[in-house]
Amino acid sequence: MAKRITIDPITRIEGHLRIDVEVDNNAVNNAWASCTMWRGIETILRGRDPRDAWMFTQRFCGVCTTVHAMASVRAVEDALNLEVPLNAQYIRNLILIAHALHDHIVHFYQLSALDWVDILQIPKADPEKTAKLAESLSPWTRNSREEFTAAQNKVKAVAASGQLGIFMNGYWGHPAMRLSPEVNLLAFTHYVQALEYQRKALQVVGMLGSKTPHIQNLTVGGVANAIDLDSPSALGMDRLEAIHVLLNDVVRFVNEVYFIDVCAVAAMYPEWFKIGSGVRNYLAVPDLPLDTKASAYDLPGGYITNGNLGGVHAFKTASDKEFRESVSEDVTHAYYRGDKPLHPWVGETDPAFTGWDGEQKYSWVKAPRFQGQPMQVGPLAQVLIGYAQGHPLTRKYADLALSKVSAVAGVHATPDMLHSTLGRHAARAIRAAMLAELAQKHWQLLVDNIAKGDFTVHNQPVFNGEVEGVGTHEAPRGTLSHWVVVKDAKIKNYQAVVPSTWNASPRDRSGAHGPYEAALLRTPLARPEEPLEVLRTVHSFDPCMACACHAFDPSGRQIAKVKVL
Amino acid sequence: MKNVLIGGIGNILLGDDGVGPYIARLLTAFFEFDEGVEIADLGTPALDLIDQISGRDAIILIDSIKVDCAPGSVLLYRKPDIMRHRPEVRMDPHSPALVETLLSVEMFAVAPRDVLLIGIAGTSYNSGCSLSAAVAASVPQAIAAIQAELDRLGVTYCRRERPIESGIWWTVPKPAPLPSSA
Repeated sequence: MAKRITIDPITRIEGHLRIDVEVDNNAVNNAWASCTMWRGIETILRGRDPRDAWMFTQRFCGVCTTVHAMASVRAVEDALNLEVPLNAQYIRNLILIAHALHDHIVHFYQLSALDWVDILQIPKADPEKTAKLAESLSPWTRNSREEFTAAQNKVKAVAASGQLGIFMNGYWGHPAMRLSPEVNLLAFTHYVQALEYQRKALQVVGMLGSKTPHIQNLTVGGVANAIDLDSPSALGMDRLEAIHVLLNDVVRFVNEVYFIDVCAVAAMYPEWFKIGSGVRNYLAVPDLPLDTKASAYDLPGGYITNGNLGGVHAFKTASDKEFRESVSEDVTHAYYRGDKPLHPWVGETDPAFTGWDGEQKYSWVKAPRFQGQPMQVGPLAQVLIGYAQGHPLTRKYADLALSKVSAVAGVHATPDMLHSTLGRHAARAIRAAMLAELAQKHWQLLVDNIAKGDFTVHNQPVFNGEVEGVGTHEAPRGTLSHWVVVKDAKIKNYQAVVPSTWNASPRDRSGAHGPYEAALLRTPLARPEEPLEVLRTVHSFDPCMACACHAFDPSGRQIAKVKVL
Repeated sequence: MKNVLIGGIGNILLGDDGVGPYIARLLTAFFEFDEGVEIADLGTPALDLIDQISGRDAIILIDSIKVDCAPGSVLLYRKPDIMRHRPEVRMDPHSPALVETLLSVEMFAVAPRDVLLIGIAGTSYNSGCSLSAAVAASVPQAIAAIQAELDRLGVTYCRRERPIESGIWWTVPKPAPLPSSA
């Protein structure tokens, strides 16, 4: 008899991800992903000045602020056919890279490592043995016995208090947890250190963007940073040097800690390279433009269908014609009126809530489709698309990751294994290593360009008649696109198709599952009442959909976190 | 000198949820504070709140709350009130996470000694950039609660002779000046 499990964290006031799975013989045989709130924030933008839109859009989400600001200015620039000065491209690229590095580090350590790492095993670890193991894996200088002992003592103190504090919610001792006490301690120690290094990455965003969490330095047509090599208040050599120091620290952490840990943990759960694949259509847009017209990029984009890497299609630009013309949103299973898929420029948002019904409508998320197909987006899509195109930087780090996994696991790891839950984690680490290298490159490009005497940061936008544009960004969670129609210098329509909409998409009119749903099918569950395996796969996508509204609920009632029916 | 963060939390695009950032910006416009005081519009933070509050002596957070009270009611919560929550299973790992944040800074021994959450009961969270009348009317009371907490902490501040630009760019019309009693 199949059991239904609903994971619905109800302490959240508004809007969050809910997962329903049907379990038979300890495996998932059906799945539904839904979002519990309608936002409709885009409607706020109608009638406003397109030059101000980015300030509003960066409030869509409290975590991904920067990415929505960037996609918005790019959308308006695309509509106006406006070039962006080189300095502005490099400054934006550095902000995007630093933000992504912060995001990827936090995602692995703070938000998903504890799906794999068992905190309660840590007191049993031998810090000396942990240090020896760590030394065999990485040159990281903070892999000392002292660091491991200090981290272990933190866990011991929390455990001794009888209250698990921050760890009270984990599935500790779950049969799907399998790391040795030493590997658990190693990963947890890096969890602590990761907080320091993600902060350094955010400091870079703040130094270039003048503030976090909401950057202030964007304009349609460039950036507002004043460049003056000798002034301490402008962007000069002092600040650039300070940024360089911070970036170098983050780069070392990515290469010597994050990348290594992902490979090591993955190698110890090799069966998870066979679980969680789902939708094998992948989509990514090119990013990190290298010229004012945005005709060359450091990150490639394109699409793959049915997992066929040999048949990869490349996008030449971030607003490639094929991309512009191929996106639509289907509301067959979403709480909106409408009977046919619509392109975002003519997108409608007409809410009609009918309650959760897995056969009919069950989510506030629309179903975005590319050429009518569901697409998986995110670092895995980007890495596979780059790999398939023979992109040298992607190949360099993907091959390095696969060889490290092979060495630790004693198996031959191939790119095909990346279509999986662990593949998503590995791809995120691969992408982080690529971005780390590009951080140094773009810093140098900026410094060299300024040294040539080019201080230009902005081109003036000019509005005429009715124009439409798309602004894309290959964000930490994948392809983000903002679609704008501007008429007489006012916004006529605005739609954001965000990465988590692609991945958390409900079924469409043909019944095709969205990526989360498809990835959960056939997942084995050791203990259905503790669906750790479901969380592993969902977390591997790095979902982000609930940040829009935040009202504190002071009642402190116990939550029905997992319901088994 | 005490290191104090006064942080407004919430989404300015969703009606009453924007009251925290709104008040944070009004404070900057109308008051001058001790050097150790930072006023911040924090938006809707998740775990990056850890960085914001680590190592502070005191934090005062202003947020909208969902509570069975008249809209615009101003309620004060200390650490134990907030900690009655258990952290939830994270489906979406970017959950706003006040409880997790406080537990984390405690584990790392960088927790602020004084924590005050000033909650304002909201009524409308629909998309839109303005506050409901009830919540807008409660703003002076919330500011008085912040002043009382600063007095208790021994932190000095004074009203500016002439308010500076509030930086509340998202509402039209601009907010009315505070009544002189605030």
